[in-house]
Amino acid sequence: MAKPKRKTQRHVLTYMEDAVCQLLENREDISQYGIARFFTEYFNSVCQGTHILFREFSFVQATPHNRVSFLRAFWRCFRTVDLLTMKEYHCLLQLLCPDFPLELTQKAARIVLMDDAMDCLMSFSDFLFAFQIQFYYSEFLDSVAAIYEDLLSGKNPNTVIVPTSSSGQHRQRPALGEAGMLEGVEASLFYQCLENLCDRHKYSCPPPALVKEALSNVQRLTFYGFLMALSKHHGINQALGALPDKGDLMHDPAMDEELERLLLPFLRLAQVPGLVNSVTASPEASCLPSRTPPRVGSPWRPLHHSRKVDGESDASTEETDESET
Amino acid sequence: MIPGKYRSVSGRAANNVNCGLHLVIQTSSLPEKNKVEFKLNKDTSSFPGRLLQHDLERNYSSRQGDHINLVSSSLSSFPILQRSSEEKILYSDRLSLERQKLTVCPIINGEDHLRLLNFQHNFITRIQNISNLQKLISLDLYDNQIEEISGLSTLRCLRVLLLGKNRIKKISNLENLKSLDVLDLHGNQITKIENINHLCELRVLNLARNFLSHVDNLNGLDSLTELNLRHNQITFVRDVDNLPCLQHLFLSFNNISSFDSVSCLADSSSLSDITFDGNPIAQESWYKHTVLQNMMQLRQLDMKRITEEERRMASVLAKKEEEKKRESHKQSLLKEKKRLTINNVARQWDLQQQRVANIATNEDRKDSDSPQDPCQIDGSTLSAFPEETGPLDSGLNNALQGLSVIDTYLVEVDGDTLSLYGSGALESLDRNWSVQTAGMITTVSFTFIEFDEIVQVLPKLKIKFPNSLHLKFKETNLVMLQQFNALAQLRRIDQLTIDPQGNPVVNFTLWKYYVLFRLSHFSMQKINGTEVTQNDMIMAERLFGILAHVASSELPQYRLISILGDARKKQFQYLLESKGKKPGIINEENNDSKRLVGENTNRATLNYTTRDFYNEKLEEIKEKKKFCKTYIEDLVKEATEINMKNEALQKLWPQMFIELVRDAVIEIRNKNSYMKLCLQQITDQK
Repeated sequence: MAKPKRKTQRHVLTYMEDAVCQLLENREDISQYGIARFFTEYFNSVCQGTHILFREFSFVQATPHNRVSFLRAFWRCFRTVDLLTMKEYHCLLQLLCPDFPLELTQKAARIVLMDDAMDCLMSFSDFLFAFQIQFYYSEFLDSVAAIYEDLLSGKNPNTVIVPTSSSGQHRQRPALGEAGMLEGVEASLFYQCLENLCDRHKYSCPPPALVKEALSNVQRLTFYGFLMALSKHHGINQALGALPDKGDLMHDPAMDEELERLLLPFLRLAQVPGLVNSVTASPEASCLPSRTPPRVGSPWRPLHHSRKVDGESDASTEETDESET
Repeated sequence: MIPGKYRSVSGRAANNVNCGLHLVIQTSSLPEKNKVEFKLNKDTSSFPGRLLQHDLERNYSSRQGDHINLVSSSLSSFPILQRSSEEKILYSDRLSLERQKLTVCPIINGEDHLRLLNFQHNFITRIQNISNLQKLISLDLYDNQIEEISGLSTLRCLRVLLLGKNRIKKISNLENLKSLDVLDLHGNQITKIENINHLCELRVLNLARNFLSHVDNLNGLDSLTELNLRHNQITFVRDVDNLPCLQHLFLSFNNISSFDSVSCLADSSSLSDITFDGNPIAQESWYKHTVLQNMMQLRQLDMKRITEEERRMASVLAKKEEEKKRESHKQSLLKEKKRLTINNVARQWDLQQQRVANIATNEDRKDSDSPQDPCQIDGSTLSAFPEETGPLDSGLNNALQGLSVIDTYLVEVDGDTLSLYGSGALESLDRNWSVQTAGMITTVSFTFIEFDEIVQVLPKLKIKFPNSLHLKFKETNLVMLQQFNALAQLRRIDQLTIDPQGNPVVNFTLWKYYVLFRLSHFSMQKINGTEVTQNDMIMAERLFGILAHVASSELPQYRLISILGDARKKQFQYLLESKGKKPGIINEENNDSKRLVGENTNRATLNYTTRDFYNEKLEEIKEKKKFCKTYIEDLVKEATEINMKNEALQKLWPQMFIELVRDAVIEIRNKNSYMKLCLQQITDQK
């Protein structure tokens, strides 16, 4: 059968297997429920992308769709946090997936921090996009790393390379020896190798055209530079379809509404005079302990100030900014 | 030589003699106007006391009356004494030369049977010229300027030697005076008691107003009954228990500040009268009863008789102090044991952590271990410790004899706090706690126990200690935010203290908000000592509210059921349905209450399964997964086969249909023969 068919067919099978497995596990509960209903709900949740919530890591990374759903869930749940260390982001990831491996988070952090100072703080959007690339394309990136190493050491990468799990980004960046005075590898050569890789790779790869675009305006590049470029590329992000554009990252009206509803009783309490002082002041001032700078306006306004900041909201005592769209 | 001036000397033999009877000395010239009575026991050496009996009533004042001539000899610078023969007969055994302005001792001739000699109130600087008076019994040199005891070596019969108010710096040259009964050296410059150990018949020793700083070297004075040490600088007293007859001891106006410095007095069974007034010790609040309880044989203290009442009080107080001491000793023992146990638990914990962290290097460390004294170990150090408990600190060895095994865990109840150290302590929750004790516990503290293990006993905690409101965790390996989910099952928590030591989760800046969020239904008041403000709650909601929402509303029903179990499912369904029914109605109270209740349940799906359980579950799932895989594969195979068959059938069907039709048409072509054939078939059937 044709390859594309095999791919999709395989994924369907994965879900079928998982559904049956879930059925087996929760036999007693579901039998009261109705098996037909169960299957309906299961595949509905697969479509909605909620099936990966609180599931084990082996399932979460099983299919590209799962990965996308996971990324999306992570974004939606933790949109409001910012400026944390790698370990803290990992903690949050673990809230959604208890056995999520630290390795992946570390790799993602390396992309953001360019392999420096792993205890640095990272903004949510930086981390999220880097994490997206790392998580969705993990196998691809492993191979790319191997290719990069080879290019650096001058070998011809057009021979078949079997990526092993041990290869990859754990290697330190080699000293600039034979590669000459310039850092990294030549962009065009690198791209050729990538193209070859994409053709024969079993796992998902970023669309080659977009990769070419990302590499278009550089002569040479380093490995992490490449990854950083990938993560920042809007086109790739859109191709994945998991996360919105960077500018819209903080924008999720449905969740905002929910959040407002959740906070309403607290704020009502807070407005009782004498109960709490200074709550009517912008609560962002009392935000995350001493690390985040006080934000202007509502918390789900983007941090990057790419939108116009409404002067009104500075003095606003309302949590719900109806005026803001 | 021309004789010196003649002087008539009052020779009234008003001597102080002690014999088998009383002796009265009035030291009126001295500032202290004590009248000291010397009561003697019957066993004194025989002495012709009758002769001196009438002396007792006489005052010790100088009187003129005797006719004594002092003639200075030409041969030496010493005056020579001569008495009229009448005098010699009348007062044959006594001679008084007091207040004669003598600067030296005169030569006394022809009086070799003299027994009492009085040189009081002169200016004599050296004891001389009396070696011929070998029958002398009493020699009185009070108030002279003698600087050194000497010239007494022939006076073997001497019984009374009075050298008070001189300038003697050292007790010496008394070797031959073995019969000495009274030795008075008060008012001198003596700094040390020495050279009197041979005076085994000495009964009274007066060393008042000297420069003594301590008392010792009193052995050998087997007859000593009275020892006067007033007005010195004595700080400690020793050897008094070596004086078998000592009854009166006067230590007034010295420098004694604690009873320990005179502890030998407690061992003296003969002492019945003692004075301490004028010492620092007498100012202390515990002075009287301490003295009384240490010297039960005492009859008089500071010249006041000790009543029965006082004695009783003293013994009562003594008992109380003993009790107190015993109590505090017990307490300190307990404390020590506790400390050792906690140290032991800490060691076990450290070892455990190291084992988990790095097995290989741990092996190395084990090899290079050397036993360490457990009492020196500080629980917070992470150096490697030997597996076996080392030897006990020798200082506690005796005390802890009974505790031969150091426990590996410790459970302690202290008022309202229950403290558990070491994982073995968790079993103690199964014990039968009295309702009263259990009801009083408001704080439970866990140290050196894995959080995952604590999670498993939380239901027990809920039942047995219903009033526990404050939980403390230290060295419990809290590493993930999820672990806090486990605390939701408790009834109530008011305060939570997570000690940074041993709990890496505290390093996350968001941990407090997560706790507040997840445990919002407890309305916690304090976390790690700081009050929880409304702002904190808002922040927590803001950070994690969406997670809760997602966890509750976006999970498919069957997941909810499996996570929560049937009971909660109904509650959930109701909530979710009601949410669905009233999407836009702003009935504020309803919504609020539902929100608040909903908040409690909408994060109920955020559970925590301990790592071990989780891994176990995953293992179990593997089997199922394998089965599912094969099952699905079989299904798929079946389905594809059927599909293939179907497709094949589709392909072949047109052809088959045509053939069917053709066969049928060919059959019916010849009507007649077809009819015949059919009839034939029908008859054949019969």
